[in-house]
Amino acid sequence: MAAETSGAIEQEEQIVTPWEVAAEKGGKIDYDKLIDKFGCQRLDQSLIDRVARLTGRPPHVFLRRGVFFAHRDFNDVLDAYERGEKFYLYTGRGPSSEALHLGHLVPFMFTKYLQDAFKVPLVIQLTDDEKCMWKNLTVEESQRLARENAKDIIACGFDVSRTFIFSDFDYVGGSFYKNMVRIAKCVTYNKVVGIFGFSGEDHIGKVSFPPVQAAPSFPSSFPHLFSGKDSLRCLIPCAIDQDPYFRMTRDVAPRLGYHKPALIESSFFPALQGETGKMSASDPNSAIYVTDSAKDIKNKINRYAFSGGQDSVENHRKFGANLEVDIPIKYLGFFLEDDNELEHIRTEYGSGRMLTGEVKKRLTEVLTELVERHRRARAAVTDEV
Amino acid sequence: MAAETSGAIEQEEQIVTPWEVAAEKGGKIDYDKLIDKFGCQRLDQSLIDRVARLTGRPPHVFLRRGVFFAHRDFNDVLDAYERGEKFYLYTGRGPSSEALHLGHLVPFMFTKYLQDAFKVPLVIQLTDDEKCMWKNLSVEESQRLARENAKDIIACGFDVSRTFIFSDFDYVGGSFYKNMVRIAKCVTYNKVVGIFGFSGEDHIGKVSFPPVQAAPSFPSSFPHLFSGKDSLRCLIPCAIDQDPYFRMTRDVAPRLGYHKPALIESSFFPALQGETGKMSASDPNSAIYVTDSAKEIKNKINRYAFSGGQDSIENHRKLGANLEVDIPVKYLGFFLEDDDELEHIRTEYGSGRMLTGEVKKRLTEVLTELVERHRRARAAVTDEV
Repeated sequence: MAAETSGAIEQEEQIVTPWEVAAEKGGKIDYDKLIDKFGCQRLDQSLIDRVARLTGRPPHVFLRRGVFFAHRDFNDVLDAYERGEKFYLYTGRGPSSEALHLGHLVPFMFTKYLQDAFKVPLVIQLTDDEKCMWKNLTVEESQRLARENAKDIIACGFDVSRTFIFSDFDYVGGSFYKNMVRIAKCVTYNKVVGIFGFSGEDHIGKVSFPPVQAAPSFPSSFPHLFSGKDSLRCLIPCAIDQDPYFRMTRDVAPRLGYHKPALIESSFFPALQGETGKMSASDPNSAIYVTDSAKDIKNKINRYAFSGGQDSVENHRKFGANLEVDIPIKYLGFFLEDDNELEHIRTEYGSGRMLTGEVKKRLTEVLTELVERHRRARAAVTDEV
Repeated sequence: MAAETSGAIEQEEQIVTPWEVAAEKGGKIDYDKLIDKFGCQRLDQSLIDRVARLTGRPPHVFLRRGVFFAHRDFNDVLDAYERGEKFYLYTGRGPSSEALHLGHLVPFMFTKYLQDAFKVPLVIQLTDDEKCMWKNLSVEESQRLARENAKDIIACGFDVSRTFIFSDFDYVGGSFYKNMVRIAKCVTYNKVVGIFGFSGEDHIGKVSFPPVQAAPSFPSSFPHLFSGKDSLRCLIPCAIDQDPYFRMTRDVAPRLGYHKPALIESSFFPALQGETGKMSASDPNSAIYVTDSAKEIKNKINRYAFSGGQDSIENHRKLGANLEVDIPVKYLGFFLEDDDELEHIRTEYGSGRMLTGEVKKRLTEVLTELVERHRRARAAVTDEV
């Protein structure tokens, strides 16, 4: 399993772990290298076409644009699905702040699409215990954040009858705890050091956490949902920095007599100010938040969105924009549904015929509508839900 | 906290940890050295007298005979008790085998006495998760053993209305899990290595277990019992090899705003074949089990109980018995209630006037009655209890 479990942090290379994402020497994240190092697979066009065929609908914009670009065993899940064997979805969030930004919404938007397209159950784990341990929050504070985040997640429009959202502090126990113990028995301390980079000065809470994030990959962790279905497969949509948890889980699964969970992984949502890594919750101008007003959105895009346009209108008309680094173009790649319109903008902007201002204006429209829709949905989430 | 947290394992010295007990160079356990190394206190006569005064009854035979011989903060608990502040008791068992032997009963017999004498609540933890992890049992097997052991524990006669027995696999979750996380945040990996001797090849289940045994020391782990009583003190009767868990817990307690749990600790029950350490569940002739018949008890004592008597009657009459190593006399020290009779036997046997056979006969009587009484009580434990 050497390829599956590699992932030790080396200073000269890029760093991708659940707690830190940094490109090599301040450049961009090299996803080919990452796939190579982690040992997962590229999500190629044939797989995307297969999904469209099986689900009888166009593939999600995130698939078309390569946002979700890597996977493990997604083909096996589709094979089983074709045979009439369902699977369930598992995704999650570490509730470290009240405000979610657009990058946070990406896995949830995609998961909702998967749930609708394949008509399968879904579990969503809020790792309040993790944040309590890593961010040094009190138990109560992390539970509060989990509850607030849950409302935003519910607002993404999941099928209420087929979705189970839970916080670890509420749910850990019983069958879930039994699986945590079974998993923990299969992973040595040396192994987690290799995967996650723990050190002797880390507290044992951190060391004991990986089984908590692994446990939802096994249907027996949810006896009230999947009783008697021990061979039910699990598909995990997540950002690629979560891969280490599931490499570990996949390593353990056969020893416990379970299927390895399959993964479908996304690249990182770029920060407003440019492609240096993940967004940072500590810099409000690095991201668009679901709580931002239309005015906030417009200001942030105009003032902080890193532009690939030239420094003067003349130069811009002459050279065109650098699409590789332009943030508004990238954001439109995520959120502008219409492939044709996007292609048009890319061509016009790249050749210099369209100006930065126009692109930013279009992005402002798209994001404002998205955020508005989300806010309305969130307001409809009552305590009882 | 250097004195409190010492306990690292050194090869030349005696070894006392929750998983291994071995005397120096095959000799006897040196309890003075142990108290010194661990940093706990001797339980002296004035404390024993104080207990008798406060409870209005003679102190338990285990106190009179020095079986429970060490403590931490027992005086503070008694001070509080005098002020009208109750405390609760916490003890436990790792259910690694179905059959309990007399050594296993010692802490429970003493705890029952404490409960009756002070009229306080009691929690008893069955660490089935621990045994699942250390003895490599399946979850189901360790739960089964826990259930079987619970019957023997209940048969010790605790106050049903004031006693909560739980197995970890059943109970971990909610407030208990929250305390596990809080505790885990306060203990580094290096610290548990120092206390328990874990290594990189140990699985992370072991590393994550200490907080599970620590959590019952805090009343907030039992909201259904102690709601609103966060300042309730805890007294833990246990064998002294459990001290490391609670040194760690006492270290953590003030950081969480809890009282440090107090401890009252016993020496090791000697194996039938002699004082080399703890009994071993893998050698049935090293102990008297609660399932032994009267005939088996008689046979075991006659055949295997290490005798301090001389090799011939002549020598014995001349030199007397070596009371330091004689197992029947030691066992009588534990279980013969009558101080005068014990003193008489010690004098007569030590001077050579009483023979080994008589001592063994008396012991057989005492133990047979004890085991019989236990068996009757156990038979009365129905599933519903």
